[in-house]
Order: sequence, then structure tokens, then C-alpha cells
Amino acid sequence: MSSSETTEAATSADTSRAGSVRLDHVTHRYGRGGETFTAVGPVDLTVPAGEFLVLVGASGCGKSTLLRLIAGFERPTHGSVRVSGAEPRPGEAAGVVFQTPRLFPWRTVRGNIDLALRYAGVERARWPERRAELLARVGLEGTERRRVWEISGGQQQRVAIARALAAENPLLLLDEPFAALDALTRERLQEDVRRMTERTGRTAVFVTHSADEAVFLGSRIVVLTRSPGTVALDLPITLPRGDVDAEELRGSQEFAELRAQVSHAVKAAAAA
Amino acid sequence: MSTTPALLKPADPADAPPEPAAPARSVWLRVRPVALPSGSLLLFLLLWQLLAASGTWSETLVPPPARVWDAFVDVSTTHDGIRGYNGTTLVEHLGISLRRIGLGAGIGVVAGVVFGLLMGTVGWVRSLFEPWITFLRTLPPLAYFSLLIIWLGINEEPKVTLLAVAAFPPVAVSTTTAVAAVPKQLIEAARALGASRWDVVRDVVVPSALPETLTGVRLAVGVAYSSLVAAELVNGLPGIGGMVKDAANYNNTPVVLVGIIAIGVSGLIIDGLLLRLERVAVPWRGRA
Repeated sequence: MSSSETTEAATSADTSRAGSVRLDHVTHRYGRGGETFTAVGPVDLTVPAGEFLVLVGASGCGKSTLLRLIAGFERPTHGSVRVSGAEPRPGEAAGVVFQTPRLFPWRTVRGNIDLALRYAGVERARWPERRAELLARVGLEGTERRRVWEISGGQQQRVAIARALAAENPLLLLDEPFAALDALTRERLQEDVRRMTERTGRTAVFVTHSADEAVFLGSRIVVLTRSPGTVALDLPITLPRGDVDAEELRGSQEFAELRAQVSHAVKAAAAA
Repeated sequence: MSTTPALLKPADPADAPPEPAAPARSVWLRVRPVALPSGSLLLFLLLWQLLAASGTWSETLVPPPARVWDAFVDVSTTHDGIRGYNGTTLVEHLGISLRRIGLGAGIGVVAGVVFGLLMGTVGWVRSLFEPWITFLRTLPPLAYFSLLIIWLGINEEPKVTLLAVAAFPPVAVSTTTAVAAVPKQLIEAARALGASRWDVVRDVVVPSALPETLTGVRLAVGVAYSSLVAAELVNGLPGIGGMVKDAANYNNTPVVLVGIIAIGVSGLIIDGLLLRLERVAVPWRGRA
């Protein structure tokens, strides 16, 4: 009895750490009355702080819904969602990067970052320094004065990432952020995001339908079945992290095997 | 070696003609934007002159352009001890009217923006006021002018109120539509960054609705402008609309025409300025 108490205390301590995510029997339905549609669930999932979790599944499997639940945009119909041990609220729990950049066109690159710094409660005197730091982190030095429609799609998504990092939330949520970009830009951004999360020790939950992207980025991959989405495969990825040659990693035997395994699981889950 | 010039020769005359023709064409393309409007203006003046000279109608009904020009000079200057028209020069008449429009349309625009913001964000406020605004919009300003005279007398109040009431609906309607159409994705993006409800209104809703609102303002100023003569029907002197009305009472057609042209030209200038303001204030129009 005392041993079960201690394990429970240990688990709750772990999932209340900043940046950790815990989903308990989460189900989410859209619609009201007779016309409801179960998008997700039931899902049980624990993401310890510092993990890079990639949610993979065919389109319509509810992976974006799951991300919206973690971000606090939606509340689960059943079950509970906990981020850093508390109920998530938008703008508090996590930084979010959406599928499209969603930048404010009436503001310049600098204006978009500044707005994020203001919402994050950073005092005005520290903005220039923090702004430069954020832009440097996403490789956008010197673009401050540009209008957001003057820069490329890849640069726009970089601004969106810098904006999401402004509050220094311990958790970063990314919803297919590179799906609309060309292959070359996508690979570069994947490398940057991988390096960035490693260096800062942030927790990340990344949604994608690409097995390739999942294997490259994740320290753990969860494959979801088709709607309602439930966990079909939970796979730790043991590929080397830290200072690695991205090209070498992508070309390795182990990478190819993992990609095949995930790809197979996604297809099987979509067919089921 | 001797074949080369022989081959080139027949091509020469074919190449030559486009050379002088091309600059003429490009010159025409360059002057066309100025040439066509001024040409049509000259043609109009010519037809007017011919019509007046033909004697089909009396000079009282269709005065020739020269008499209108004389009337313009008369009302713009002091002559025979008389200052302009009825003691006020044309520019002063216009200035007084523009002040009324500025004040009236200004009040209408501010009220329209406030109502538009409220109606666009709060569903029940929209349901409550929308039918009234639609009703007001369909009314010709002359219809409620009599009522305003009864309520407010014959001085500045009914005139400014009329212009405000006329300018209000276009701004309210365009702002409401624009606010209701603010991309939900941008609101969500702001909330994800930690914006409060008020932050969202100030930083997302207002700038996102601004282009449409400014279009509404241009419409509103146009409506106020076209209501000017109506607003100055009663006790409108001094004022350009009042001048037109008063001159019409005396069958003074040249002054009526001078007034109409002054209203039209100043209206064009103001619309041009507003268009310019729009371009400067909302460079992101159509890029969201």
C-alpha cells in the first residue's frame, strides 16, 4: 500500500513538471445533440518534460484536435488534460506554431515579435535585446523592418516560430508547421527546430503525417488510428541527438528502418 | 562572302518601318491618360457652347460657358462694391460648407465606427440595431430634414445633424461586416501568444477591420457631400449649397452652375485625398 502511494506521488510529481503533458482517458466530440462526431479518444498519454513527441497519423485522425486540446483551445468532452500539472489555457501553457504562419500583416517582422513580447509580459526596455536574440535563433537577422508579405513562406514560418518562443514557454506545440513549404526549406527548418529544442531542453509536441519528418525530429513517436484517434503505436526513437550531421543521419540504415516501421504503422492504422 | 550582304539586303526595308512608328506609339500611350480626359472636357465645352449658341433654349436656361466663367469671377471677387455672392466669396461659401461636412461627417464616422465595432463583436447588439440602421440607410436625407428643422430649428444644428445621420450608416455597416469577418485564425494566434480579450480587439480586430472601415468612410463622405444642398436648403447662406438654392430662386443659372461645379470639383479632390490616405494607412489591404 505504501509502495503504491509512493509510485503515485512520483508520477504526479513528474507530470506536474514544467513542460510536461498528461492526457487521462481523453475523448473529444464535435457537434451537439444527435449530430456528434468523435474526433479523438479515448487517449492516455504522458509526455515527460524535455521529450520531443511526434504525433503521426493519416489526415482526419484527430491529431490536430489533440494538439488543440493540449493548447487549451478546446476542452475534452471526457477525461482530463494537464500541462505542467494544470488545466491548459491558451497563451499560458505553451507556445503554438500553426500550419500557416498566421502573422499579422499590419505589422512588420519586428512588430510581430514585439507584440508577442508584450503579451509575454517582457518589459519594454528589454525588447530590442530579446527581439534580436529570437530572430537570431531562427536565422532571420536583418529582416526586422520587412513587411511580412515581402518575405518568403519559409521566412514567415520562421517568424511564427520566433513569435511562439517569445514567452519562453517550456512547451512548444507545432501543428504540421512545414507542410506547405518546399522540400529544401522544410529540411532546413526541421534541422533548426531539432537543434533548438535540444539546446533549450524544451518539451515539444509535433504533429505531422510524414513518417520521414517524424523519425528525424522525434525522441518518441506516437501513431494514431483513424477517427476516433487512439494510440496505435508508441515508439521511442533512439537515433543520436545533439551535435549530429543531419545528412548522415537521414542516410543511415537505422533511419531508413525506423521510417519504414512508422510508415507501415501509419498505413495499418489508417486502414483499421 | 558576297552572299551575306545579298541575304541581308531584302530584310532591311522590312525592318525599317517599325522604327519611327514605335516611338510615336509609346508617346501616345504616355499622354493618353491626360489626353483622353482633357479631350472629353474640351468636347463637352464645345458642345455646350454650340447648344447655347443655337438658341434652342433661352440664355436663362442654358447660359454659354463664357457667362458661367464671368459668374465664377464675380462670385470669387469684389466687384461694384459687392463682395462675392451675397457678401461672401465662393471660397468662403465652400469653406463654410466644408466645415459643416467635416463636423457632421466626423460625428457620423465616429458613431459609425463605435456601433460597427460593438455590432460586429456582440451578436445581440447587432440584432438590436441592424434593422434600424438599414431603415435609416434607405431614407433619402431630405425625408428626415423636415423633422430635424422642427426639432432643432434652422441654424447649424439641423444641418450638421443631417450630415451626421447621412454619414453614419455606411460606416456602421462596413465596420460591422469587417469586424464580423476578422479571420478567426489570427484571433487564435493572438490568444496563443497570451493576448487578453481587449488585446485581441486592439491588436487584431481593429487593424483587420480598418481597410473596410476606411472604404466606408469614403462612402460616408460621398453621401454627406451629396446631401449638402439638402442640408443647406433652409437658411443655408452662407454656404455653397445655400448659394445654389438662393441663386435658383432668382433664376440665376450661371451661379447655380458655378456652385454645382465647385461642389463637384471639391468632392473629387476630397475623394482623391481619402483614397491616398487609405493607401498610406492600410498598405496591407488585400495581403492578409
